[in-house]
Amino acid sequence: MAWSATSPGANQPDNTAFTQQRLPAWQPLLSAGIVLPLFFCVGLAFIGLGLGLYYTSNGIKELEYDYTGDPGTGNCSVCAAAGERVAPPPANCTCQWCFSLSELFQGPVFLYYELSNFYQNNRRYVVSRDDAQLSGLASALRHPTNECAPYQRSPAGVPIAPCGAIANSLFNDSFKLLHQRLPGGAYVEVPLDRTGIAWWTDYHVKFHNPEPINGSLKLAFYGTAKPPNWPRPAYDLSPDPNNTGFVNQDFVVWMRTAALPTFRKLYARIRHGNYSAGLPRGAYCVNITYNYPVLAFDGHKRLIFSSISWMGGKNPFLGVAYLTFGSLCIVTGFVMLVVYIRHQDENGEDEDE
Amino acid sequence: KEPPPGAEAYIPQKYPDNRIVSSKYTFWNFIPKNLFEQFRRIANFYFLIIFLVQLIIDTPTSPVTSGLPLFFVIAVTAIKQGYEDWLRHKADNAMNQCPVHFIQHGKLVRKQSRNLRVGDVVMVNDGETFPCDLIFLSSSREDGTCYVTTASLDGESSHKTYYAVQETKGFQTEEEIDNLHATVECEQPQPDLYKFVGRIHVYQERNEPVVRSLGSENLLLRGASLKNTEKIFGVAIYTGMETKMALNYQSKSQKRSVVEKSMNVFLVVYLCILISKALINTILKYVWQSDPFRDEPWFNQKTESERQRNLFLKAFTDFLAFMVLFNYIIPVSMYVTVEMQKFLGSYFLTWDEDMFDEETGEGPLVNTSDLNEELGQVEYIFTDKTGTLTENNMEFIECCIEGNVYVPHVICNGQILPNSGGIDMIDSSPGVSGKEREELFFRALCLCHTVQVKDDVLVDGQKKSPDSSRSCIYISSSPDEVALVEGIQRLGFTYLRLKDNHMEILNRDNDIERYELLDTLSFDSVRRRMSVIVKSASGDIYLFCKGADSAIFPRVSEGKIDQVRSRVERNAVEGLRTLCVAYKKCTQEEYDEIHELLHSAKVALQEREKKLAEAYDQIETNLILLGATAVEDRLQKAGIKVWVLTGDKMETATTLFKVLSKDEDLAFIFYVSCRLSNDLQDFGLIIDGAALSLIMKPRQTGSSGNYRELFLEICRNCSAVLCCRMAPLQKAQIVKLIKLSKEHPITLAIGDGANDVSMILEAHVGIGIIGKEGRQAARNSDYAIPKFKHLKKMILVHGHFYYIRISELVQYFFYKNVCFIFPQFLYQFFCGFSQQPLYDTAYLTLYNISFTSLPILMYSLMEQHVTSDMLKRDPSLYRDIAKNALLRWRVFLYWTFLGVFDALVFFFGAYLMLENTTVTINGQVFGNWTFGTLVFTVLVFTVTLKLALDTHYWTWINHFVIWGSLIFYIIFSLLWGGIIWPFLSYQRMYFVFIQMLSSGPAWLGIILLIIVSLLPDILKKVLCRQLWPTATERTQVKITFLLYNYWFYCWNQKMRRAGSHR
Repeated sequence: MAWSATSPGANQPDNTAFTQQRLPAWQPLLSAGIVLPLFFCVGLAFIGLGLGLYYTSNGIKELEYDYTGDPGTGNCSVCAAAGERVAPPPANCTCQWCFSLSELFQGPVFLYYELSNFYQNNRRYVVSRDDAQLSGLASALRHPTNECAPYQRSPAGVPIAPCGAIANSLFNDSFKLLHQRLPGGAYVEVPLDRTGIAWWTDYHVKFHNPEPINGSLKLAFYGTAKPPNWPRPAYDLSPDPNNTGFVNQDFVVWMRTAALPTFRKLYARIRHGNYSAGLPRGAYCVNITYNYPVLAFDGHKRLIFSSISWMGGKNPFLGVAYLTFGSLCIVTGFVMLVVYIRHQDENGEDEDE
Repeated sequence: KEPPPGAEAYIPQKYPDNRIVSSKYTFWNFIPKNLFEQFRRIANFYFLIIFLVQLIIDTPTSPVTSGLPLFFVIAVTAIKQGYEDWLRHKADNAMNQCPVHFIQHGKLVRKQSRNLRVGDVVMVNDGETFPCDLIFLSSSREDGTCYVTTASLDGESSHKTYYAVQETKGFQTEEEIDNLHATVECEQPQPDLYKFVGRIHVYQERNEPVVRSLGSENLLLRGASLKNTEKIFGVAIYTGMETKMALNYQSKSQKRSVVEKSMNVFLVVYLCILISKALINTILKYVWQSDPFRDEPWFNQKTESERQRNLFLKAFTDFLAFMVLFNYIIPVSMYVTVEMQKFLGSYFLTWDEDMFDEETGEGPLVNTSDLNEELGQVEYIFTDKTGTLTENNMEFIECCIEGNVYVPHVICNGQILPNSGGIDMIDSSPGVSGKEREELFFRALCLCHTVQVKDDVLVDGQKKSPDSSRSCIYISSSPDEVALVEGIQRLGFTYLRLKDNHMEILNRDNDIERYELLDTLSFDSVRRRMSVIVKSASGDIYLFCKGADSAIFPRVSEGKIDQVRSRVERNAVEGLRTLCVAYKKCTQEEYDEIHELLHSAKVALQEREKKLAEAYDQIETNLILLGATAVEDRLQKAGIKVWVLTGDKMETATTLFKVLSKDEDLAFIFYVSCRLSNDLQDFGLIIDGAALSLIMKPRQTGSSGNYRELFLEICRNCSAVLCCRMAPLQKAQIVKLIKLSKEHPITLAIGDGANDVSMILEAHVGIGIIGKEGRQAARNSDYAIPKFKHLKKMILVHGHFYYIRISELVQYFFYKNVCFIFPQFLYQFFCGFSQQPLYDTAYLTLYNISFTSLPILMYSLMEQHVTSDMLKRDPSLYRDIAKNALLRWRVFLYWTFLGVFDALVFFFGAYLMLENTTVTINGQVFGNWTFGTLVFTVLVFTVTLKLALDTHYWTWINHFVIWGSLIFYIIFSLLWGGIIWPFLSYQRMYFVFIQMLSSGPAWLGIILLIIVSLLPDILKKVLCRQLWPTATERTQVKITFLLYNYWFYCWNQKMRRAGSHR
């Protein structure tokens, strides 16, 4: 592909600024004179910003508990041992985590669960879903995509809805938070808001249930099988008719695959009643329904209470990074200043030549 | 017609018809053939393989990601080639269908050109082009000549005379032609336009057949057109694809630039990186998977068929899948961008007003755009002197006859004194015999040449009065000859014309003398002389010989050699071109012998050249020296200034040049090299062709090259080397010698004549001057310029720009793809080596096609790191880029490590930011696609801003494409994630980008990561500029300094004015 250009030659070329390569142009120069102040400015700005971020992040409280149930750690180990290396996991087993707060846990408080060593980002896992099916398309409901295999059809050949490995491995532990307001008093259940934990767009636009037949979602799902690991079919996922089927908050949250093998997912928000300002001091217990087996793949399960600021959850990285980088800028700025002053003379002489 | 019995055995041959097929494809084979051609390129083939792998095996990315760019590239090229081929088809059709007159049964018939067959007799009218290669049979002109212009073949617009075959020139009408009975034998078709060997047998009733030799003067070439001749008849001899024009379509060998070579080396490096990345990941994958719960955890089970697959097959498939995932590190688009850059960039050269020559109306020509950047790498320049350094505008200065010097007297307004009084006798007036010799000398100069008189003068006017004929316009391929004939005209002898094989000259007494031209022993650059044999009206036969002193003196047996030699040498020292003239008088018997000798050589079908040369050598002996002439060839204005390149050597070089420019075949080498040091004494070396051939000749002992190396060593230590009296091949030899020397310097050869072609083809870059000696050099060159002085801008400005542009292009492309792919590689460590892509398909596909393509393309077309004026003024800047400086390993490694560093920053920055936390105010978490989008956003911004940092010349176009692509990226992402796309089977990107932007820390993180990735480069730039500034950087600083001063001055003025108003 040798492309060559020939011009007519006989004609005078156009005398335009473009053809003569004389377009007016701004010719900036990255000289020390410009870059030095820039370095100092950026450095100072970053240090300021970093300090802000750092303190914001530090102000965020987190309380976490590993309830995997490694042998000899709390009462979840019984459940863990029972369900060890069994899939699908055995029937409900409950355990408890109790803690006490000596002061107000500033709200709003968010409850997360964290899984580690769980490769939601494995390629075969990520593709193992059918977005068309999840969008409520009737044809896709009964003809799940091949990517879902081996969770595409049940052994009897009935299409699985929702198909795929992601749906099949839906996280099914559940938590109940109890609060003992007064020492020795009764435990009161803290209302957990299970709405608004999934992206609004996912919940309202991307995920749709198939059109109910005669007002019954069950009939709409007729001819499909439940994912093998699920205890009940999709249309029975939740007793709340507005939060069942594919448009179930927990399900939608789970379907957004995490980027890294250790990940958190939002479980609930605490914002109702007396707890809108946070968790007041007192003793608390979390009742955990332990279903999800993680020891099989060396995984861990954690439960996290976290408050949220404008910058989200606790993450010192941004603040530290800004601080480090800002100071680095200033240090380099000084180094360059020294170099600049030392070599100023030489350059000056050059210019005289 | 069959040849008559008794002729030699005739084997019927198959001749092609007269169709010209310059098109490559037909309608039917276009797609398969074009695809085949395109996939023969190794890069396209590689991408095709990747694409096929993606189709066949289960790969992480959809085949679209590599299929679409490949399809785009292939389609663009195919459309371009298809369009070009369509144009060729149209041209072919027009040519093949144009009507031709030819003779059939004594009648004139019109047929389409493509129906012409070998052996048909064709009639061509004035102004028409010849439909095929014809043997010239007869012409409407009495003397059997015709005038032809070959402008469309070799660009020479002067009229050339062709001669009809002696025996057939009487056949003037169709009927007569029909009765002609002859056979033509000729050589196999070959592409040399100026060579033809053939033989014609004309059978006449009763008589023995007459044999005539046919040479190129009898062959009318397809593509040339008839001028100033009413009509001619010719017999088709080569048709269709066998015509010389068609044979010349074949392209020349490809030259490759250093940049291309380094690019290929870098590609190999990247291929190795790619393969090792894939290998590492495959191995790690199987190490990691050795735990069964990792290979197949309960939540992610395999299908039965996957489980049963052979382990090695699985491993191999995984390896291929990794290759596919990382294949973008060698981007398809780089090739397209490089091609476009070269193709479009070369227009800036042809558009350049400074390189346009007003006189000739010619601008520079780009014959190949593949070598643009090589113009910025030139270290040695080889130039031809005549016509290249000089104007090739000769002026007759003086002549010396037997030691007496004659100078034509010129009056100021250009008029010439009417008669012989215009001769200054410097020496004592010659005696009677001297007078005779003098006239003989003038007649010799009048007769011994190949000058034509411009035709218009002859055709239009009636018999001219002697005075008006003095203003004849002479045309010749050699300007020396014109100068000589014009000079002699001023001395009283005017050459009028060649008519009926008689040369007419007007002598001092205004009488017309007629000489019959018996033979011409034409000039060639090996013999370096030419002769004519003429018969005067009185029946005397003379041989006049004219040539270089070294070619004449050894053959002279009589004459005042010493006086002439001393004069010649004196003239040569003054830089004049000298020629010696000698003659020989023959008797009729001697001439018959000569004629026989020449004829047998001319009719020979094999080794005609060699036999002719031998014959010439035999004939041109025992000459009597008449005298010498001196002609001046002015130096081109401003041409020599390029010598500033050699630093302070201008004087040396100029004097050397002046002293030694005594020979027409003089090649001059000079040095642009950076190897200049001030303390080194300047040496010049002068060597002539004879000595050079001794050096180049391998020694008998077998230890060849000894002298060569010594010579090379000497040459390289000299600032200027002059080689005089070089044969064309020797020029090429010298170029080759330097080219293949240890350091492999880049050579440039520039010349204007046919004798420079070998040198032009040999050098890395060949430049032709569109000059007076015809277009041969320009046609064979890579670039053609109208004047030598344009070379300066071509090399110093355009070459420099092209080089910095393309080197940045190449480095930047590798850099941006390292940045692009390395995070994917890192991600494999966090996704269980499962080949999960980090970015969405759309991003993978469009990254190189649209998000980051235009800024670099525009940069590589527009960048000017220093203004062109500065580059032109300060040739030392050229040293900064010598020896492929911007594509050295050090620089390449810097770019690659910068890419790796940036990739690390992007990936781990995003990792640390999104790890185990949420960054939104509503506590919701992001998934893997948000992670990829975050990395990708930082990536697009960083690589674009990196280019912005490198841009020194911000025109509105640069602003438009740089900020435009960023805005385009944002708009595209908003759209891509803003809609549920019905044609997609997945909606993974839905609202990902918008959600990401709704988070404050994401913004802060993006800004931080961009700045962190750019900082090392800024730091390196500033520190290098401060500590080890290159000449270019110093100049940049100087310019900016001046600009600031100017602004400050303006501002001051303004303030003062404002103050005074108040």
